[in-house]
Amino acid sequence: MKLSGIHPGDSLPEVKKVITQDDINLYAEASGDYNPIHVDEAFAAQTPLGGTIAHGMLVLGYMSDMLTCAFGRHWLSAGKLAVRFKTPARPKDTITISGKINAADHKEGASQISCSVEARNQRGEAIITGEATVKY
Amino acid sequence: MGFLSKTGSNKPLGQLEDKPIPLKWEALAPGMELAPGEYTLDSDLVSRYIRAVTGEAGKNCNPEFVPPLAIAAYAMTGLGSALELPAGTIHAAQEVDFLRPVPVGSVIKSHGRVAQKVERGKLRMLTIELIAESEGGGQVLSGRATLILPA
Repeated sequence: MKLSGIHPGDSLPEVKKVITQDDINLYAEASGDYNPIHVDEAFAAQTPLGGTIAHGMLVLGYMSDMLTCAFGRHWLSAGKLAVRFKTPARPKDTITISGKINAADHKEGASQISCSVEARNQRGEAIITGEATVKY
Repeated sequence: MGFLSKTGSNKPLGQLEDKPIPLKWEALAPGMELAPGEYTLDSDLVSRYIRAVTGEAGKNCNPEFVPPLAIAAYAMTGLGSALELPAGTIHAAQEVDFLRPVPVGSVIKSHGRVAQKVERGKLRMLTIELIAESEGGGQVLSGRATLILPA
């Protein structure tokens, strides 16, 4: 997004993902995070969570991907993300990642864009909530 | 974790020349430095990450720069090998600042420190501060991860 086209109240282009156990396994292989809560269905079934859950960093990866699409190289060089993982994402969940621009501050030739960001499942439950900022 | 490309060794992610003994919960204290990690974000590793996060859309992706969250993810995994985290540990919160684009092929060193350790009844929570530096010495990322450990 060009700076001139960014205005408070604007929404970022949404991303929708259906999470599968295969996606979770692929992420475990890629990241090296084989915590059994993510990849061992028998183990996870016996925990209070009752089944496997996606890595929080996988869902956050979807969010960062959305922000990279929105802000391009600015996100890579001066992006900041602060989030809470509220509810686990589970296999077969449809996750919607969204963001909304809250403020665009311009001072002395530099600009900072602040957004609220969230990931919700198909029941509308918050998976991740937080804030992203990016400097231009 | 054997797929990860290491600099000069076949040691698992997050380990330098001497394999650290993973620290148990009881041994952790605020301010404690964790064993540093070192890894190369080569094109194979980055492609695996992109395929895992973007699916088919990333199959033929050949980026110039590493997705910034991949740096955080690998740094976290590296630090995870310095800690004896029980199965079922989950992520509660994450902060991350991306400080500069990281070209594919970069060697990254990650450093972690225990920022907070909370034990209240059955709740055990750990906050780790994280810094990643490129081989040239510049800081590329900083962050904090909060983990909840099972009782």
